[in-house]
Amino acid sequence: MNNVVKDSMVPISDYPTVSRDAILMDAVFALENAKNNFEGKEESAHWIVLVMDNENRVVGKLSQLDVLTALETHTDAVKIIDGINKFGFSPRYITTMREELHLKNASFERLYADPGIMASEVTQFMHNITESDSIDENTSLATAAHHMAARKRLSMLVTKDDNVVGVLRMTDVFTVVINRIRDEHNIKV
Amino acid sequence: MKDLEKLYDRVIQRVNINLRELEFEVNPYAQNAIPLGQMVRFYAFFGISPHHPLSFQFKNSNLAGSYFLGNCNVTNSLLYKSDIRGDELKKKGDIFQYQEFEIPVSKDEEINITDSLLIKTLVHNYSHDPETLEEFFIKDTISMNYANIHGSPSDGCFLGPFATADLTTIRDCVIRRFAYVQAGEVSHLDIPAGTVWVRSPGDFNFYYQHPVDKLNEYIYISPTAPPQGLFIDFVEDRKEAFQRVFDVVNIEHSTSVPSSASLDRYAVVKPSTTIGENVLVSQRAYLQNSYLGKGANAQENCYIINSRLEGFNVTAHGAKIIEADLGSNVFVGFNSFLRGCPDGRLTIGKESIIMPHTIIDIKESLTIPPGHIVWGMVRDEKDLANHSISIEKFSSIDSGINMGNMFFEGNGGAFVNAFKDRIHHILEANGAFFNGSERKGHAQKNQYISFNTLQPYPEGRKKGIYPTIVIKP
Repeated sequence: MNNVVKDSMVPISDYPTVSRDAILMDAVFALENAKNNFEGKEESAHWIVLVMDNENRVVGKLSQLDVLTALETHTDAVKIIDGINKFGFSPRYITTMREELHLKNASFERLYADPGIMASEVTQFMHNITESDSIDENTSLATAAHHMAARKRLSMLVTKDDNVVGVLRMTDVFTVVINRIRDEHNIKV
Repeated sequence: MKDLEKLYDRVIQRVNINLRELEFEVNPYAQNAIPLGQMVRFYAFFGISPHHPLSFQFKNSNLAGSYFLGNCNVTNSLLYKSDIRGDELKKKGDIFQYQEFEIPVSKDEEINITDSLLIKTLVHNYSHDPETLEEFFIKDTISMNYANIHGSPSDGCFLGPFATADLTTIRDCVIRRFAYVQAGEVSHLDIPAGTVWVRSPGDFNFYYQHPVDKLNEYIYISPTAPPQGLFIDFVEDRKEAFQRVFDVVNIEHSTSVPSSASLDRYAVVKPSTTIGENVLVSQRAYLQNSYLGKGANAQENCYIINSRLEGFNVTAHGAKIIEADLGSNVFVGFNSFLRGCPDGRLTIGKESIIMPHTIIDIKESLTIPPGHIVWGMVRDEKDLANHSISIEKFSSIDSGINMGNMFFEGNGGAFVNAFKDRIHHILEANGAFFNGSERKGHAQKNQYISFNTLQPYPEGRKKGIYPTIVIKP
């Protein structure tokens, strides 16, 4: 695997972004638009939205999972069920409890359209960018793969002279790895 | 008092190090919990009797107002008005049953308390940890007012006021106020205030969460506020009565005590109280105008006021029963608070189980039918309906149930049987079934205890520190 990160990254200009003043609704639709732009080409779609500060620096990222987590109901009853996770209950029991609560208390539509949550600032739900989220553009893809596995990241910000220039996604690295395996074993598609 | 100050700081630092992963700082809770002046005021005392082992070693510690019985070593620790009861420790040659293993005990078990601060804490029972059968250790641990460390070796833990660790090895855990844990072995857990958790892996898992806003009325503590609330007020209001029993050397209780029963000289008994056969009343128990029928017991820090217990009732450590009538074989768990009022008494039917850390606080009369399990916080009939179930119905649960803040997974029958076995064991150990010659328990053995007192250095650098003392038969 001789390629370096910049050969496989998505340039930051191709990525959906919102400002740090944006509300969750803005981020949801930015993600949705990005997905629609790649309809039919799932491997090219973007699964995160980047959050930028006033000087156009990346300060956070928000994934689809973050959005779903943000939109969950947070009643006291839900908090208690979430809380008992660490007390030895089986996943099956927890699922049953959540289902019962769901049927008792709210429709699906209401659960996922809470206007209060949708109007909240995106910074409440984003992951702040830390040093371990970034990788230099000239790093080899082999090292990048190691960092993603070790740090459990589905994407990393690619930097050049400390400026973010792109995003390296798990799917990009995986594609290179698969191609390399094919070459090694002389497998034709 | 330099050495005492150094010791205090040392304990706090050690506990902080253990709890750093949970990002829990004990300083705000523990730093000023006991004014150092108080730790010089009270004598420590220990019991000797022909029925209990005797081996004490106290080294570089303060033991103000604390009581010791059995085999116990205390090193680099501060024990304030705590009860260290080593009268149920394992003996050399005992066989400890753990799952399918039968493990022989190689030497007499000891309670070893090191680098810890225990405030008005009860330590009792024996180590249930199969890895440390001969040592019931408590190290790098801070426990606040009226906590119970019952059969629970502890390493690097903080227990809030009225918290209980029961038959559970706890490591690097925070057990917050009024939380109860009985789960075998836990580590690196921060257990929220008012949690009641009883788990036997593979068999059952019971979890209840008290509503914290209501719990705060009963017991509250924060980094900026010492323990406060109704529980604290309740015991403070009765503190003076205990002052007398601790100040007087030879105390005679005016209540008649049958020859098969035991009334500890450090208990408070007010008129007009009746003590039946095979009754056990432990030190720091408070009885007032109550009836304790045959085989009933009142353990440490229990308060039984204007109440009637028909017989074979277990009132576990720290439980309080006020204006209530309990049928026979009713179990009241650790630190439960059951309060009726003169115009609205609480009636609990026979063979009911009041779960540990239950609060029943009523303004109008309330009747719990016989054979029911009750948990949580009950203030009226409606609460009772949501926080109780018949033992028969509970026994039929085969997978799980949820009622409000109570979650149960597993086999209800196994849960009920575990409780019934435990209750039987407690009654047996307490001597409730004594027949005049056999089945002696604490009620009979504790009649022959004499007490000796210990004092710390009164002045100088070591003021408040007790000299190194070794006591053997």
